[in-house]
Amino acid sequence: MKEFAGEMSMNCEEFATAGLDLGATSEDSPLLRAAREHMCECSHCALLHENWLALREELRVLGAETSGAEAPSRVEMRLREEFRAQHKTLPSRRRAIVLTWGLAAAATLVVGITWANRHLHVGQGPSTTSATNVVSPQVAPAAGTNAGEVLVASNNSGDFTFLPDSVPMNSEDATVVHVQMQRAALGALGLTVNEEHAGDWIQVDLLVGDDGLPQAVRLPESGTQTTN
Amino acid sequence: MQIELNERDDALLKRSAKGDERAFAELYRRHQPPLYRFAVRMTGSTWAAEEIVQDVFMMLVREPKKFDAERGTLGAFLYGVARNRIMKHLERTPRDFSLDESGEAGRDSHPQLQEQMTPARWAELRERREQVRAAVLELPPEFREAVVLCELEEMSYDEAARSLNCPVGTIRSRLHRGRALLLAKLEMLREVPKRANASR
Repeated sequence: MKEFAGEMSMNCEEFATAGLDLGATSEDSPLLRAAREHMCECSHCALLHENWLALREELRVLGAETSGAEAPSRVEMRLREEFRAQHKTLPSRRRAIVLTWGLAAAATLVVGITWANRHLHVGQGPSTTSATNVVSPQVAPAAGTNAGEVLVASNNSGDFTFLPDSVPMNSEDATVVHVQMQRAALGALGLTVNEEHAGDWIQVDLLVGDDGLPQAVRLPESGTQTTN
Repeated sequence: MQIELNERDDALLKRSAKGDERAFAELYRRHQPPLYRFAVRMTGSTWAAEEIVQDVFMMLVREPKKFDAERGTLGAFLYGVARNRIMKHLERTPRDFSLDESGEAGRDSHPQLQEQMTPARWAELRERREQVRAAVLELPPEFREAVVLCELEEMSYDEAARSLNCPVGTIRSRLHRGRALLLAKLEMLREVPKRANASR
């Protein structure tokens, strides 16, 4: 586009591109002024513009024919049905997913705990000192021995007498703990004690169950003697 | 839950995604008319437009997260989805100039105009309108959508560019080509009767 003294001039090709917007807008840009001037000089472009205005009017009528057109109400009904179905199934599906994951987590936890317990038992072996901790409050130091060396555990479970209220259990799961205690402490296990010898120190074998509680008691010969 | 008229589309869409049916209905009522008109004018078929609008909103029900508010307005997003559906429809169906289909609401849009005309004039205008409609439907889709949005829907270039998610310059050039093709087509049609009369 050429510019003479601040004014633009337009050829036919440029008019075909930009000049058809004449009349479509009220703005008075230099481009549209140039288009208007070109139209005054060129009869071909003036005719083109006239034809375009007629066609634009026809297009507007065509547009007006469908200007109020809307989708039939059945479309909205179908969509609302789909919406309800979608949002009805979504929470129940979410709930099912949460439940499934919850069950899976619980199962994993149970398997883990079982495995850990089994692993712990294997690690403990036939005689462990952890069993000594369970009964340590009842232990008294033997004469001539250190406190830490009092208890010795073994799995020899013959000739035991079950304590009152204890449930007989598999002896393989139990641990035998040798302890020294005052005879009076046997009372705490539910056994009868001769009051005359209540202060005597005796050797006792306790059969300690899986839960850490004494299940049965055995008094070696020396202890038996003192009990009687 | 109350719906305000000026409530933003993205807020309504969030509520809709959480199961608020009224929010969805409001979104549908806001955006369905222009989309339906666009589809009718692009396909020339009301049943196709109905299917397209239903598809567009079905997508909004099933996958609301497809819309990203940071990338544009919901209106432009829906126009884009509708446009894809329209192009697919145009690719797989032969051109369907169901010229008598002007939509349920469009049929009696100018009753006062119809009353003032003689049957001959009415028939002439009607024929001319069918020619214009056919000429629009014969335009290549990318020129057609520019003509439909700017001339039939009377959108500004900016609005059309936003709706089609393309630069304003693209709209201008497509519109220019579309207008030129329409003029060529209709001027040729106008000449036909004249030539026929001249040959007699």
